[in-house]
Amino acid sequence: MNNNQIETKKTCYFCENGIKEVDYKDIRTLRNFINTYKKIFPRKKTGLCSKHQRKLALAIKNARVMALLPYIR
Amino acid sequence: MAKNKSAEIPHYELLFIVSNKYSEDELKNVVKTAHKTITDNSGKITYSEEWGKKKFTYPIKHFHYGYYSLAEFDCLSENINKINREFRLNNEILRHMIVVKKLLSEKEIKAEKMREEKKISEKIKEEKKESKIIDKKESKKTEQKVDMKQLDEKLDKILETDDLL
Repeated sequence: MNNNQIETKKTCYFCENGIKEVDYKDIRTLRNFINTYKKIFPRKKTGLCSKHQRKLALAIKNARVMALLPYIR
Repeated sequence: MAKNKSAEIPHYELLFIVSNKYSEDELKNVVKTAHKTITDNSGKITYSEEWGKKKFTYPIKHFHYGYYSLAEFDCLSENINKINREFRLNNEILRHMIVVKKLLSEKEIKAEKMREEKKISEKIKEEKKESKIIDKKESKKTEQKVDMKQLDEKLDKILETDDLL
């Protein structure tokens, strides 16, 4: 039993800030949801709700097509 | 709802990249022709913006830089395929993306304004708190400095005694 770690409740970033649609041009926020290899973080790490996780994935993929975000490092 | 949707003209957002080989004067013409393709297909441009020269995150057709430009327009959904094809055939444009954009209703705009005001007020509060904390810290620091001076003096004394020994 390892209860040393304090459990923190993660809340959806977009729900909290009242953002309904994830904008693919807003790279600054999208950058927070990719790792150093430029992969999209899973829901476990982002703590997003399922609706926004799906929208985020689409936004990142759109940004990649327009060369705003890289596919790989 | 369904009836209203069909009656409304959908709103789109277009972002396209013009390759770096054009100068900024030539760019204006390219953007103009791009806007013309929309207006020719019974579209109405409501907003346009130039992002200027930007570096790509990966090279596109051996180009490392390009001019981004953004436009919003109202257009019938039947004509979008045509516009898409024309953009794809246009050699001056490296890449483009047309996305459906939802326009905010008045209620949502009001809610957004409220949220922004809340954020600003919260920021001001936090800044006040931080300034208070900093003040406290500074006062502590001055006390510590005095302590350090005293310590130094004590140390000097001890060292002197050591030298004597």
